Amino acid sequence: MSSTTANRGWARTHGVSRALGRTLAVFVPVFFLGTFITFALRQLSGLSPAHLQLGESATPEKVAQLEAQWGLDEPFLTQYWHWLESLLHGDLGMSWVDGTSISSALVGRAIISLSIAGLALVIGVTVGFALGTLAALWQTTWVDRAITGFTTVISVMPSFVVGIALVAVFAVTLGWFPSAGYVPISQGLTPWFEHIWLPALAISFDTIADVARQLRSGLIGAYRENYVTGAIVRGLGPRRIFFVHVLRNGIGPALTVLGMKFPNLLGGAVVTEAIFGLAGYGKYAADSAQRGDVPAVQGVLVVSIVVVVVFNLLVNTALVRITPASSRGV
Amino acid sequence: MVRRIARLRSGRLALGILLVVLVLAVFGPALAPFDPLAGTDAALAGPSADHWLGTDYLGRDVLSRILAGSTVSVLGAVQVALIALVVGAVPGILSVYLGRSFEWLSLRLVDTLIALPFLVFAVAVTALLGNGIPQAMFTVGILVSPVFYRVSRAAALTVSRSQYVEAALLSGASIGWVVRKHVWAKVLPPLSIALATTMGAGFVVVSSLTFLGIGVQPPAPTWGGVLASELQYLSYQPWAPLVPTVLIMLTVWAFNLLADAVRDVTGEAGRALTRPVTTPVAPVTQRTA
Repeated sequence: MSSTTANRGWARTHGVSRALGRTLAVFVPVFFLGTFITFALRQLSGLSPAHLQLGESATPEKVAQLEAQWGLDEPFLTQYWHWLESLLHGDLGMSWVDGTSISSALVGRAIISLSIAGLALVIGVTVGFALGTLAALWQTTWVDRAITGFTTVISVMPSFVVGIALVAVFAVTLGWFPSAGYVPISQGLTPWFEHIWLPALAISFDTIADVARQLRSGLIGAYRENYVTGAIVRGLGPRRIFFVHVLRNGIGPALTVLGMKFPNLLGGAVVTEAIFGLAGYGKYAADSAQRGDVPAVQGVLVVSIVVVVVFNLLVNTALVRITPASSRGV
Repeated sequence: MVRRIARLRSGRLALGILLVVLVLAVFGPALAPFDPLAGTDAALAGPSADHWLGTDYLGRDVLSRILAGSTVSVLGAVQVALIALVVGAVPGILSVYLGRSFEWLSLRLVDTLIALPFLVFAVAVTALLGNGIPQAMFTVGILVSPVFYRVSRAAALTVSRSQYVEAALLSGASIGWVVRKHVWAKVLPPLSIALATTMGAGFVVVSSLTFLGIGVQPPAPTWGGVLASELQYLSYQPWAPLVPTVLIMLTVWAFNLLADAVRDVTGEAGRALTRPVTTPVAPVTQRTA
């Protein structure tokens, strides 16, 4: 008895570390390629701090002098390496426009964007899971058809369209919520929530639809497995069958989709922040890009890549712990 | 294939909407009753006999701006899909034939493209590279290309490893004949599904970019741009975004319907390649209380 328990524990940790290893094998190259592409943007754009700071008065000597000052005369790979090194110390470099630290400019903005993305994730997961489960339990009835219809409708609504509709209805016509701005959480939970929940809802539609669809088909698939028939035959209650057998085996695709949707939630920040007048990192990226402030843009992109990679590692770990098949290393 | 799609009700609907949208895209600028850029004194006016959809904050005719903007908005999506097709399919096919290191590198590149926060990247890269329409199309095209990479790679894998292709070549069939007879039949269904989905996705991204004034800058008219200019005056005209919103949603919906119709017409072949997991509604064998 005790030896089987020990064996099972070993199999699980072994499965987790193997799955983590596989995830790392994908995401370490993703990190380096992503940062490399981001860094290469300066070369691709042909922009330099000289054009921003000198403007019309640029002479070749002055340009060369400034570029040397910023370390841009070094070989490309050396520059990339230095940049990566300072990244590891949390230093994203200085803005070309005003010479201020990008890291400190980003911290406050990232909190806004991450709270919205986080809340959108929570909305997407709870609503998506509820709808997907209901549709699977009442499959082929009107509940299922209504939910499927609903997810189809919301999946064709681009986030900026949803955002505008939410502003028009809840902020302008009904006046229930503020249409723009942000209040830090230190000034109270309710005002903070009132300011971020409309933008979060706007970007969560896509996630709701996909999670609900994947969960529905995952659960329906799991219900058709032999071990569920076995559990019914053994006389287990429907609640135990659902939570122990069906949910753990059918949840996989929905979790995987969550990992794929998260980059969209982060990226959607550009649009929602423009609609709701929020000074988050998406707005910072768009403004900096239009000014030609390359290091600031690179800072935002790198931060988002890191967040995506970390999130995917978490999702994959959760996947291994929850679903029996993947903890066996299948 | 078009005829078989048209036999489905959803397919007819999709083709009908897309045909109207295409007519708008091609003839829209010519149909515009007013100059989309010329302002008048009647700013923020409601719908009238002259201005069917009212005027915006500069007194420009909204209907004319929507009509004139349809070319960039709709054809942009088509261009994005075609760029993505080339950028994705060529390395996808080559990944099977050019050896392990190219295969590894291209697979990791595709992973990277999928993991990038899409819209932020599209906005940042387009704006940094000069903020024009070509930059926007290529950036978005490259970002959505992984679908085509996967589809074409899967097709190339089946062809390179299947015995019937080998048998056909051994029995003296020309490569052209093998491609027409065996390869094309394998590639066409998933490819056309991917094209339809990509056009829908590309349309959303292009609208989002133009909404932000990226790629096409104001005052040039686009559907996204019309929405953006009406956003600031929502408190005067809360109903104003309705028409561009409905147009955008109908177009996205039509692209999705078309993708589903192609999927239905061509059977299961495309399912595994373009979508993660979707089980069709199955007969109920087990039911919980």
